[in-house]
Amino acid sequence: MLVAWRYRKRKSFIQSFDPRAWIIFYICYLASTLFFWDARFLLPLMAIAVFVLLTSGVKWHEMRRAFLFIVGFVFFFAFFTFLTGRGGLEVYAQEHLVRRFEAPFSLLGWRPVLNITVERAFFAVSQLMRVFSLAVMTILIPYSLNPAHYGITFRGLGLPDKIAYAMDLTMRFIPTFGRDFQLTRDAQRARGYELEKISGGLIEQVRKLGPLMVPVTIHAISGSEDIIDAMDLRAFGVGPRTWLEQLTYRRRDYILIAAGVLLLVVSLGLSLLGYGTFWVPEVLIRAVGG
Amino acid sequence: MDKKFVSILIALVVILAIIVLGVYLIDPNLEFPLDRATVPLRFLFVVIGLAIAFAVYLATKENKAWEVGTREVVWMAIGAALYAVFSWLFNGTVFVVPSISQVSLRPAIAIPMFFGYAFGPVVGFFTGAVGNMFGDALTGFGLSPQWSIGNGLVGFISGLPLLFKDKKKSLDTVLIVSGVLTVIGVVVYFVNRSLPNMLFYDVEAGIFGDAPISLIAGISLLIGFVLVVLARFFFGKDIDVATAVTWGALGNILGIGFAAISDIWINGFSPAAAIVGEFLPAAGPNLIFAAILVPLLVVAYGSYRKQSGR
Repeated sequence: MLVAWRYRKRKSFIQSFDPRAWIIFYICYLASTLFFWDARFLLPLMAIAVFVLLTSGVKWHEMRRAFLFIVGFVFFFAFFTFLTGRGGLEVYAQEHLVRRFEAPFSLLGWRPVLNITVERAFFAVSQLMRVFSLAVMTILIPYSLNPAHYGITFRGLGLPDKIAYAMDLTMRFIPTFGRDFQLTRDAQRARGYELEKISGGLIEQVRKLGPLMVPVTIHAISGSEDIIDAMDLRAFGVGPRTWLEQLTYRRRDYILIAAGVLLLVVSLGLSLLGYGTFWVPEVLIRAVGG
Repeated sequence: MDKKFVSILIALVVILAIIVLGVYLIDPNLEFPLDRATVPLRFLFVVIGLAIAFAVYLATKENKAWEVGTREVVWMAIGAALYAVFSWLFNGTVFVVPSISQVSLRPAIAIPMFFGYAFGPVVGFFTGAVGNMFGDALTGFGLSPQWSIGNGLVGFISGLPLLFKDKKKSLDTVLIVSGVLTVIGVVVYFVNRSLPNMLFYDVEAGIFGDAPISLIAGISLLIGFVLVVLARFFFGKDIDVATAVTWGALGNILGIGFAAISDIWINGFSPAAAIVGEFLPAAGPNLIFAAILVPLLVVAYGSYRKQSGR
């Protein structure tokens, strides 16, 4: 049995477009965001993401789990950056110290030191904005893309029939296999398989993952026979494929695609001209007496 | 040679020439381009990876292994979905997988190796590349297409033995090539022992990808390779397992190597940093999985086939 993503028909901004147009816009958006580390440039991009999120019509209780997971991940990532300055160190040449914490203990001669600097803090903020925008735009896709349109969407984006259909099936299988994995884990637990206590040497630990991975994989392969039969009965791949649903671009879709391409071109241009690199407000530096 | 083949070949050569030129023009000094336009470079490496796979296809396009029918389409989808789900579940946030001395476990890599071996290079490539893409999307990231292609190459190379009529002949060559590459990797590690392991995070200990690489992580590739050799001879009679493991090992070394080496240009790492900081801690543990989980999958699949008569 297939488990579906939580798509519903909604009256929303994101669902008022042709899915192909939305995917093109999404890819342009993704690439544009990657160009910038400057909070001033990231702010409008983040505004787009927040606008799409607020008008998506996805209820909080529907997306709570996915959303909390991703927000947690985003903060976790930004926090890393903040603590270590890793990733940022190469971008700014000098740091302005706000406060320095030294641990009152030392581990094997190493004393943990935390330097809070304007640059690090602001780099973390920039990264937060960047990753948040990308994550929001990504998690909205399964909620807003009609599963019946997966195949024709990928086909319409120029992929060959077979690859488009394989992408369609992939998206449909992901939630199903997630469920299968949980079932298998519970079944193995009921038989006394102790996941929480995976112990032993490296090889032993790896071997113990077998009872989780092997049943899920083999079950998926054996289940595939039904789908293969069904597809063969309908003469899959014999001639050029026709799709049950038709997608047509309307004017608003062309506008969205144009907006996406424009966004990408402008971002690329700005970045080639040297804009959009990491930026710290002068005010903050002066505030700490730099 | 027919006309079409020649024209495709010429197109490929031209594309490669442009790429080579592009790499030198865009980034001749290997400066750190984190805040510069790295997007075109990422896609450049996607194109290079695809071109490699396509070149292999062109060279052997008469072979049956390249046929894509209904079964292959469904297997591609299953492989990619399984890879995405497993890499999401085992990425440490949902389902905590233990790690030993900086060797973080990523058991999902066995999936593209197994699917490549069992169902051919096309299925393997799709499983690795698309599975990695969706796996990244599930965690909310989709920033490194060159790693997707690297993972695709893992599955692709694992599937190449289907091109050979006699699987046994190629095994020793593959093993020797993998061995040579392993030794090179380990030598680079011993020359640059102080470099950080960029893939290792441990919040509680205050390590954020900046701790010097540990001995185990450094030589994990060697450990993995020894395991692969052991698996190869332990299952010497079972040619299926031996083939899957040895080709999977080569695929892992080349595919992950491709992704790590492309980061030399994309993230501006020095070649040594890319090998010690990324390639070894990623490819080493992967090899350990290749040696242990892939045989389990191959044996289970073999008995499933016997039972169902397919």
